[in-house]
Amino acid sequence: MSPEALPLTRRSFLRAGTTVALALTAAGCGFASDGDPAAAAAAHAPIDVKVDGDLVYFNWADFVDPAVFEGFQKEYGVKVVQSNFDSMEGMAAKLNAGNRYDIIFPTAKWAQRLAAGGRLRTIDHGRLRNAEAVFGGYGYFADPWYDSGSAHTIPFTMYKTGIGWRRDRLGDLTGSWSDLWNEQAKGKVFVLDDRDEALGMGALKLGLGLSTGDPAELDRVGDTLRSLRPRLRGFSSDSYNNLLNGNADMTQAWSGDMASMLAQAEDPSVFGFEVAREGAPVNSDCYAIPANAQHPGTAMLFIDYMLRPENVKKNIEYIGYPMPVRGTEDTYAALVEPFPQCMVTADDLGADLFFRNGTAAGERARDAAWTDVKAG
Amino acid sequence: MTRRKRSGAARPDRGPSASGARLWTWLMLPGTLWMTGFLLASLVLVATLAFGTTDPLGNPRFGLDFDNITTLADPAYSTVLLRSLGYALLTCAICLAVAYPVAYTIALHGGRFKNALIAAIVVPFFANYLVRMYGWSVVLSDDGPLLRALRAVGIADEDTKILQTGAGVVAGLVYGFIVFMIIPLYAALERMDTSLIEAGRDLYGGPLRTFFFVTVPATRQGAAAGCVLVFLPAMGDFVSAQLMGGPDQIMIGNLIQDKFFQGQNWPLGSALTMLLMAALFLGMLGYLRRTRKDEAEAAR
Repeated sequence: MSPEALPLTRRSFLRAGTTVALALTAAGCGFASDGDPAAAAAAHAPIDVKVDGDLVYFNWADFVDPAVFEGFQKEYGVKVVQSNFDSMEGMAAKLNAGNRYDIIFPTAKWAQRLAAGGRLRTIDHGRLRNAEAVFGGYGYFADPWYDSGSAHTIPFTMYKTGIGWRRDRLGDLTGSWSDLWNEQAKGKVFVLDDRDEALGMGALKLGLGLSTGDPAELDRVGDTLRSLRPRLRGFSSDSYNNLLNGNADMTQAWSGDMASMLAQAEDPSVFGFEVAREGAPVNSDCYAIPANAQHPGTAMLFIDYMLRPENVKKNIEYIGYPMPVRGTEDTYAALVEPFPQCMVTADDLGADLFFRNGTAAGERARDAAWTDVKAG
Repeated sequence: MTRRKRSGAARPDRGPSASGARLWTWLMLPGTLWMTGFLLASLVLVATLAFGTTDPLGNPRFGLDFDNITTLADPAYSTVLLRSLGYALLTCAICLAVAYPVAYTIALHGGRFKNALIAAIVVPFFANYLVRMYGWSVVLSDDGPLLRALRAVGIADEDTKILQTGAGVVAGLVYGFIVFMIIPLYAALERMDTSLIEAGRDLYGGPLRTFFFVTVPATRQGAAAGCVLVFLPAMGDFVSAQLMGGPDQIMIGNLIQDKFFQGQNWPLGSALTMLLMAALFLGMLGYLRRTRKDEAEAAR
């Protein structure tokens, strides 16, 4: 090595580093690439319902009874390889990065986005023995707004948003979103740490559209939510822990979380759950098979297996969310007997208060409004 | 004269020190490559993404869009940035005040328990930060053990709360990062020439005077390193404000986390990250200047 070699080497380090950086940047562009037509065509090919490998499963953590997984593994002789996401955005980012899963569980809004983007396989309901209990029992899901004819999805859970509160401290409420402004609960009120839920609550209180992207309307929603700030203790999606450990007297809450709380509360009668008459946002998690799934056949078997009434009942009891499968309503009703408003009825679905996808400008406006609400 | 000429000037790079330098260069190669590659790659990604947009599927797209930069002018961001700065500085100050006596005691009076005491401080930090913070939020909750005990002895009343206050957030930050203050301080105190302390006492300095005029200046570099190690992560932290803070305690890290995970607005998140990095860079510059001055003084 000549004496001049050292500075040269350092320069070549830098050059190599830059090359790596640029290569990674280019790879970064890869996750934004458009799907090719061949893949799009394959996405529409019907899936053979048969074991074609282990099931790579991607869902919220702890969202299926472990006994149900065990049963599936034993019956079909496959392994369930589990991984979890903690937000829809996180899930989409993993999919966009090219990770391959056989079954995922998007919410309605995300199902629409993924299907529109060509990221989901079509599902032929005729090939699933237990699909009739869903689509025959819950007409709403036969042709939902987010997925025409439920071509890419099958509903998994349903839930709505309301107010959970400490009955022992506040007594009865009035059944309106205005209850969150209750003087007695001052300093002990939580709002979900979720852009759509928080803005949606303000919009419903004002009689505006749930998913409004109109800047003038969002200003009003922001003002409304800011007027709650002096009473507000925080933004948190940990509703039932906040109620259980006494930090909250009242909190915006998902019905499923309140139902799960019943199993943990020493005395459930001190808690209450109500949905507001101005309207309760409703949502659904769905089964979906990504376009790049390696074992779609096993995924179809898994969906059919999960839809068996005995498994649906086990899962309902385990996670506290109702599932749109005919014949399982009593199981859920018994589970949430102290909080009857956790039930999701055909009327709730018919009211159609789902969070919708907005335009790019609308989404930006909602983001800005949420930042302003949170930053104060 | 001639000898010096031959060995010094004629073949300057064949001596033992030159081959040593080459060895060090090779040893540095993998680390340098690694750091340059990944640091530059992520920096380039974040910096270019700050000018990008988001497509309907939530994919970030590169572009030349200045919307994200102009969005940063929203006063909400400067409020939150200043708040984070305040919390981080306060965290540094408290850590310094708490860590000095701890490090001092262990380094100078720890005797044969020194290593055990250091281990006792470090080992709990093996547990995941999030889990420890979550534990704290349970301990500090309104019906939690701490407030119950304080209420029982009459120090706190029904309305006293720690969670969802600024104090709660700073408590979380101090707990989370204090080990980064204790370790460099301990190292500095260990290295310190203890005869200086004796000299201070000989000159009739009381324990406090000796501490402030002898020990503190002698361990200034350790304290400065500790402050940087605490300040940088505290400034960008989002867990403490998330678990211990209320609506008025949101930090810049929470906004960035929101943009990446909830809003799926990576471009705006990237722009915010660049803003945070710029703020941190100023602090870092101050530190580097300070240490260079110290070193120059020491060399003199």
